[in-house]
Amino acid sequence: MPKILVVDDEEHIRLLYSEELKEAGYEVITAENGFKLLEKIEEEKPDLVVLDIKMVDYNGLDILQDIRNHFYDLPVILSTAYDTFKEDMKSIAADFYVVKSFDLTELKKKIAMALETRLPG
Amino acid sequence: MAFYEENPGQITGADIVVGIPTANEVESIAVTTARVDKGLSEYFPGMRCVIIDCDNHSSDGTREAFFAAPGTTPRLYISTEPGVGGKGRNIVNFFQRARQLDPKALIILEADIKNISPVWIRNLGTPILKGAGFVCPLYVRHKYEATLTSSIIYPLFRCLYGRRVRQCNVGVYGFSPKLLDSYLNPPFWSEMLDNYGADIWMANVALASRLPVVQAIMGSPKVHRLKDSYLHLPVFFHEVVGTIFDLMQVYQDFWKQVKWSKPTALFGTDLQEVETPLPVDMNTKRLHEMFIEGFDNYYGLWEQVYGPMVVPKLQEIRSIGLQHFSFPTQTWMTILFDSAVAYRWMSPAERKNLLDGLLPLYLGKVLSYVKKTERMSLQQAEDYIENECMIFEENKPYILKVWTKGEGG
Repeated sequence: MPKILVVDDEEHIRLLYSEELKEAGYEVITAENGFKLLEKIEEEKPDLVVLDIKMVDYNGLDILQDIRNHFYDLPVILSTAYDTFKEDMKSIAADFYVVKSFDLTELKKKIAMALETRLPG
Repeated sequence: MAFYEENPGQITGADIVVGIPTANEVESIAVTTARVDKGLSEYFPGMRCVIIDCDNHSSDGTREAFFAAPGTTPRLYISTEPGVGGKGRNIVNFFQRARQLDPKALIILEADIKNISPVWIRNLGTPILKGAGFVCPLYVRHKYEATLTSSIIYPLFRCLYGRRVRQCNVGVYGFSPKLLDSYLNPPFWSEMLDNYGADIWMANVALASRLPVVQAIMGSPKVHRLKDSYLHLPVFFHEVVGTIFDLMQVYQDFWKQVKWSKPTALFGTDLQEVETPLPVDMNTKRLHEMFIEGFDNYYGLWEQVYGPMVVPKLQEIRSIGLQHFSFPTQTWMTILFDSAVAYRWMSPAERKNLLDGLLPLYLGKVLSYVKKTERMSLQQAEDYIENECMIFEENKPYILKVWTKGEGG
C-alpha cells in the first residue's frame, strides 16, 4: 500500500486528506509543518508527499527545494489555495499541483499519475 | 585528439574544467574568458581550475586574445587541424583533453554570448560538485524565443525521456566526469553533430544516462553577439530534429519504459534580481506563407508519411486562413511521431526530404502558438506549453504502437 505524507498546517485539511486518501487505499501519515521534515521523510520513507505551499512560519516552495535536493525522485504534489505560486520558478520542481478543495478527485488523479510515473534505472 | 595544443602552464590535472568552443571569435573570446575566470575565482576559490579554448584553427587571432584575456586561471588551447570545422569536433577535442585532467566537474560554454555572468559558472558547476550528473540552464526567455524547443524538443523529450528539462538545446551545460565518459563512448555520431546537432546530442545523451539532472536558474537571457533566427533555420532544423530522431533509435529500449514525466531539482533559486526577457517579433504573415507553400512542395510526401486522419486535417487548417489560424496539438503530435517512425526506415536522401517537408508544418505550429498566446503573459504561455506536453505524454501509447511498424519485415 503506497504511503503518502500530507504536510499542512491546517488540521481540518490533514484530517480530510487522511480520511479520503485512506479510503482510496493509501497509507497516510501527516506533518503540520516543515520542522524536521527531511528527517521524517528519511524515517518514514513515504512514496509521495502532498505539500501545502503557505504554512505559518514555513514556505512550502523552500521545503520543496529541500526535498528535491535530498530525495531527487520523491514525487511531490503542491496543494494550494491560489495558483499565483506558479510565478515563483521554484514551483517547477513539483510533480504536480492541485488547488485545495473538499472534492479530492483531482488530487487522487494526480497522486495516481505521480505514483505510476516510471523512469528506467 | 586535437591536432594542435598550447599548454603554457604545463597543466596536468584540474578539479573544474571549463571549455569554450570557438571558430574565429576574436571579438568575444577575451570577455568570455575574463568572466569565466572571475566566476571560477569568486565561487570556487581553492579549487584547481582550467579554461580550455577548443578552437577550429581560427585565423583571426582568437588564440592570442584567449591567452591575453585578464585573469589568473590557467589556460589551455587546443585546435582542430586547418580546414576541419564544426562545433562537434571542438567538443570532442574538449572531452578527450578534459578526461586527461581527471576533473570533478566540467562546464561547456559558447564564446559568442554577450552577457555571460560569473554567477553562471557558479550555477553550472556547483550542482555537479554536489552530485548532479548534468546541469541545464534556465534562461529568462520571451514566450516567442526558441520555438523549436517549445514546439518539438521540450514536449518530445518529456514524453520520451521522462524529464522536464525546459531549455535543452542551449549549448551551455555543466556535467560530471561520469557523463563525460558517456560522451567519450558515444552510442551514436553523425555529421549532423559537427554543427547544430551537437548541443541537443549532449542533452539527449544526458537524459538517457540515468544521472540526476538539475536545472540552473540563470537570472538573465542568453544574448548572442550575432543571431539571425531565419538565416540558418533549414540547416538548424534538419540537424537538431534529425539528431533527435536518430537518437530515438539508439535509446528506444530506454524511452519505451518511460511513463509520464518527472521534474528536476533546481539550483540558483537565490538569485534576487531576474531580468526581463528581450522582445521577440514574429512575422505571422511570413510563417503563414511558408506553411501554405508546404502544400505545393510536400503534399505528396505528407500523404505518404502521415495517416488518413492527418492529411484532411492539414487541408482543414489550410482553409482557416491567417486570422483564425489554429494547428491542433493532437495533429502536431501525430505528425511528429509519424515522422520519427518514417525517418527510422528511410535512406539518408529520403530523410532529408522528410525533414524538408516537416519544416513548413513546424512553422504552421509556431504560427498557431503565436496566435494562441499573443495576449498571454509569459506564465500563461508556459501553462499553455505545459498543457501541450501533457497531450504528448497522454499519447505515449501511440508512439509505442506505431514505432514497431515495419519491424520484422
